[in-house]
Amino acid sequence: MTLPQFTFLAPTSLTEACALLEKHKGKIKIKAGGTDMIVRLSHRAVKPDYLMSLKKIPNLDGISYTPGEGLTIGALALLREVDLSPLVLEQAQMLARAAHATATVQIRNMGTVMGNVCNASPSADNIPTLVAMNARIVASCGVKEREIPIDEFFLGPGRSALQANEIATAIKVPTLAPQSGVSYQKISPRSKVDIAAVNIGAMITLNDDGECQVARISMGAVGPTPLRARQAETFLLGKKITDETMAEAGRLAAEDAAPISDVRASREYRKLMVEVLTTRALKEAVGFAKN
Amino acid sequence: MSTDQNFSVVGKSLPRSDGRIKAVGAAQYADDIFLPGMLYGKLLRSPVAHALIKSIDTSAAEALPGVKCVITGQDIPKVKYGNWRLVPESQDEYALAIDKVRFIGDEVAAVAAIDKDSAEEAIRLIKVEYEELPGAYSVEDSLADNAPVIHDEYKQDIPNISLDRKIEYGDLDKAFAEADLILDDVFTVHATSHAYMEPCSCISEYDHDGRLTIWTSTQAPYFVQCLLASTLEMRENDIRVIKPFVGGGFGGKMEMRPWEFCSAFIARKLGRPVKFTLTREEELATGRRRHPMRIHSKVGFSKEGMLLAKEFNVHLDGGAYNSMGPTACFLCGNFGAMLYNYPSYRYYGAHVYTNKPPAGAMRGFGAPQALFVAETQMNMAAEKLGLDPIDIRYMNAMETGNEIPGVATISSCGFKESLIKVAEMTNWREKRKNLKPGQGLGLGCYSFISGGVFNWFNTRYNFTSAEVRAFDDGTVHLMTMASDIGQGCDTVLRQILAEELGLKVSDIRLTAADTAVTPQADLGTWGSRVTLMAGNAVRKAAQEIKEELFKMVSLKFDLNVIHDLRCGNGNIYPANRPDRAVSFGEAVRMAQRAKRGEPVIGYGSYTPRNKGLVTPAFSFGAQVAECEVDKETGAIEVKFMTTAHDCGTPINPMSVEGQLEGSVHMGLGYALSEQFIMKEGKTLTTTFLDYKIPCAEDMPPGISVHVDTYEPDGPFGAKEAGEGLVSPTAPAIADAVYAATGYRCMDLPLTPQKVLTGMKKI
Repeated sequence: MTLPQFTFLAPTSLTEACALLEKHKGKIKIKAGGTDMIVRLSHRAVKPDYLMSLKKIPNLDGISYTPGEGLTIGALALLREVDLSPLVLEQAQMLARAAHATATVQIRNMGTVMGNVCNASPSADNIPTLVAMNARIVASCGVKEREIPIDEFFLGPGRSALQANEIATAIKVPTLAPQSGVSYQKISPRSKVDIAAVNIGAMITLNDDGECQVARISMGAVGPTPLRARQAETFLLGKKITDETMAEAGRLAAEDAAPISDVRASREYRKLMVEVLTTRALKEAVGFAKN
Repeated sequence: MSTDQNFSVVGKSLPRSDGRIKAVGAAQYADDIFLPGMLYGKLLRSPVAHALIKSIDTSAAEALPGVKCVITGQDIPKVKYGNWRLVPESQDEYALAIDKVRFIGDEVAAVAAIDKDSAEEAIRLIKVEYEELPGAYSVEDSLADNAPVIHDEYKQDIPNISLDRKIEYGDLDKAFAEADLILDDVFTVHATSHAYMEPCSCISEYDHDGRLTIWTSTQAPYFVQCLLASTLEMRENDIRVIKPFVGGGFGGKMEMRPWEFCSAFIARKLGRPVKFTLTREEELATGRRRHPMRIHSKVGFSKEGMLLAKEFNVHLDGGAYNSMGPTACFLCGNFGAMLYNYPSYRYYGAHVYTNKPPAGAMRGFGAPQALFVAETQMNMAAEKLGLDPIDIRYMNAMETGNEIPGVATISSCGFKESLIKVAEMTNWREKRKNLKPGQGLGLGCYSFISGGVFNWFNTRYNFTSAEVRAFDDGTVHLMTMASDIGQGCDTVLRQILAEELGLKVSDIRLTAADTAVTPQADLGTWGSRVTLMAGNAVRKAAQEIKEELFKMVSLKFDLNVIHDLRCGNGNIYPANRPDRAVSFGEAVRMAQRAKRGEPVIGYGSYTPRNKGLVTPAFSFGAQVAECEVDKETGAIEVKFMTTAHDCGTPINPMSVEGQLEGSVHMGLGYALSEQFIMKEGKTLTTTFLDYKIPCAEDMPPGISVHVDTYEPDGPFGAKEAGEGLVSPTAPAIADAVYAATGYRCMDLPLTPQKVLTGMKKI
């Protein structure tokens, strides 16, 4: 399919890019890998006058790690890079699993983790683990930066907390506390290479007695934004983690999920899957926490 | 011809003749063709499922700069069309709706403009006033007492049943009375998409001579030629249909379609070429699909497991038009009583109109539906009677020489061998006893036709034909209207010709599927007919050439009349005196000299005669699926597929293997993930994001073997390969899921949610 007419912009600095955003407010769209934006353009789902690529801006790519602080994933870091990064695999292997679960290898070679996050799709593969790990999104307007806690980043399907003149430049993922574990679980109508019908990210921190210190559970595709399983998290706090407590947490997560029935799954099936996948995610995360 | 003949070209896994050009991206498909001054066409489709058209205002569209033509049903000849020309009242479609729309997507108007954006904009500017009518969206809706009549001008005994078919033989009532086990079940099977890689596309050009040429992505150039002629009110010979490279069809491109008509009509009107290319969304939202069916099947067995009787009642959810539904209705009755010897059988099939996109021909043509039911019931009966599913099939299996009363005689059959093979290859009996929790093993079998014998298109030509021209440089030129749409007949027909003439495949120039150039006629690529039918025609054409050249060689060496002459290695020679060889080219030169310059040309045709009611030859096979089911999520993983099949002589084993893998892929999607989710006639799954075709990663590993048979009616013993095999996959997987979970699927597709519901977890 052909693309509609637009002016292509490729600024070479963040300042320039943010100035262009300001100048063409309402008429401009941003692309990084383009794996979502180009499809939306060709379907005429968006009709911007300007399309701005971030690809020429230096220092937005790359994955780095600062001891004590954590991982930084640049806005232009490819899904495939995160999938295969030794740093990510060592520090936060579930981010790699989530990146790997995104689309196909061809798309992972083009698309970025940040793009997947900024699309703010409720079913995005990379969001639940980032929520579970309490990541922050670095946003820049060219002159100053701010960090947005990921819990505050998603406002609705396709809507994020970024201002019209802001560009998300990096994702910061804090280092896991000792005795912590993370898991990403996903189910989709087709077995592989598919959009999630439900996905769950979970992080748990245990104390020396095997009791839950911190639990963060994020549920995807069961609400307009990724949802926290607050009841389950509260229930787990201070509890000894057993098969029973994890199963109960799964049931509570299902209570907090607010899925709709659509072509991908019914409400009932999604609710049940939240329960199953939350329990599985907790089991895996606890396994990591104990090692 | 004996079965143990050593072939030199047939039976070899030669690379596809179109492999290189496709691999380098140089193959031209219809949408790749650009003609000077060409316009871009776009169709306006109905947004409502059932309505009268009160008015259409095209003025704003016509006023848009760049728009060259807007047509509606009022502008075109009022001629209905349809593939069943033998039954003219079954032809129920207009290229553009004239007074009524019957499904969401029904074509209402067409635009041609200087670019795609202008054409799309113009479509949005057309104002149509509809008076909505109540809709019927299922067989039940359409057959209800107060159901809306979808085709009021088409006389029907029962409203909305466009046609039905009955088959009956044996004493059914007596057999049921004597049966020890009767299964009486209702199944529903769903619609799926052909999902060919290349969306439909065509481009037409009208010349100064008053003749029309259309390049179109079709499986049946001859059908398009004839139906364009009738709907455009032109002479057939004034229309030239050329099939360029085609990216798959699977049954979805075997009719003349509205964009072909509109492209031709506007090209004729304006004298400028017009191209139409559908989008994937149009294909999925409005395109042809496999028939959903409601099947009520009652089968009777003796306690030993012998089949005694079967009553098979099928309602096809045909959508808004007949399309190829009548054939599916016809064949479903045959597939309901295939594979096994049914002493008594009663079939009633009814093709029901609904306000949905029409279902049409699709790989298997009634077999995937009928065999899902038949094979599932065989598995159910085996369990109830305490028999192994292999054994109950073996004792009832058809064999070479068996007769299906009034329908066909089985001329070759490797079914029993297939059953034995899959049991051996999977270690079936041991493995079934030692399944781990969540594991399942299941069996499904199939039989399929090698082309149809029934002339519903009412062609006045032979079913297929071929012309071979021989040259004194040792090459030949094969001309055939047979259409390679990706299945590989350009390669296979060359192999058949090369084998017959003792040449190399590279010695053969091929011109195919051009109605103005290639010999009249060929009915197209569908029903697994091409290898057998076109292959036989090619052989006959080659045999004419051989006869002529043999005379020359005989004369040259003054051979005794008892000599048997052969073609091989580019030479012609007496069988027991290979030293007395004349090269093929030299023999052609001699023949031309003898005929004082006349070329050496052979012609062959094939029409199945005295081959019963269905097909000249049946394929057979058996397949075992090994699955694992996650009992908490219902997710099904197919771990391994084992297939044994009988396609007669595989002309090109690599091609057969490709067909087989493609069949497993399509069967997998049919069984598990592909479905049109619809709401009141509206298709909601209109992209590949939500219409879930299995991906490469979803394909299970597998092995397959060809069972060695020789089909006397096929070229070099060949018969169908690759269409029938789409049928056993769903029942095999469903049976494996039953073994793993206790949930017996009678309602495809087998989604994780249904598994959990079946296990009473939801």
